[in-house]
Amino acid sequence: MITGYGHFVTLAESLQWDETDIDYSADREAWPQLTDTENARVLGLIAGFVIAETSVSGQLGSYQAAASDDSMEAVFRAQARDEARHARFFDLVSAEVAGVPGANPAARRDALRAHVSTELVDLFEERLPATARRLAEDHEGLTAAVGLYHMVIEGVVLLAGQHAMLDTLQGLSVELPGVRKGTELVLRDERWHIGFGSRIVQSADIGRDEADMLLDQGETAAKVWGDLITPDAIETAVRQHRRRLKAAGIKFW
Amino acid sequence: MSISGQTQAKPETKRWICDPCGFIYEPEEGDPDSGIDPGTPFEDIPDDWMCPICGATKADFRELQPGEFPED
Repeated sequence: MITGYGHFVTLAESLQWDETDIDYSADREAWPQLTDTENARVLGLIAGFVIAETSVSGQLGSYQAAASDDSMEAVFRAQARDEARHARFFDLVSAEVAGVPGANPAARRDALRAHVSTELVDLFEERLPATARRLAEDHEGLTAAVGLYHMVIEGVVLLAGQHAMLDTLQGLSVELPGVRKGTELVLRDERWHIGFGSRIVQSADIGRDEADMLLDQGETAAKVWGDLITPDAIETAVRQHRRRLKAAGIKFW
Repeated sequence: MSISGQTQAKPETKRWICDPCGFIYEPEEGDPDSGIDPGTPFEDIPDDWMCPICGATKADFRELQPGEFPED
């Protein structure tokens, strides 16, 4: 069982942070000392987060408009504030720590697409926006849209990516404390976003076809990071996805 | 009945909430997918158990007080 929407609004308010308060000076000094392999891995993960967070932060308006009541709408609004901050954080890291070229976030995003798989770009720049557009047009299908956004994208793709980032940072030859700090804070926010999505799924009457689709989407989405996360991490993400769906009340046959 | 007059829940009926994500552990349901049988008090769950929703640790949970039910 998952708590009511009021818990998430209160929680979100208590967890606010500012990406510009983080000190990135040690990260800037350490970045040029990364080996080529380390650089490719960390930059790939940063690229994925820049593309992902920019996309998710731009889609929540449709979800907000489709909310079934004011309390749910308030949580979507609180989440939108978080997602915008996550997008700013990863863009800031790409520009000021990794030195990604580009005069603005869009230009840096253009430069970063080459560092991730086409499947990741497609998921965040085509499939998610298409789902949000459909939701905006008819205000129906909120459960399925939440299934893709909160359960698949946040619960599988982003959570797996954040754990991979923290594991990668732990194993580097130099430390990137600012990137680590921000990633930990993003992960903290994501936990309640996933809880919120699970609450919506819990309240819905999910049938077998929808449940199967959510499982399939999760298994496919777990692979969009490509070589940036390990096969073990992918397997763990899929296993957690199934467990989460069951804990949210979905029965599997 | 406690000295203060409030009824105290038995361990096997006490519910715990994962503050990071809002999941509530119900002893009567347990968490069979993780090998936690229905009827298992939260206190008896292994320390390395993780929240089925968000993956937070057992230490991230807090006990819900009698009458407290954060459901809107």
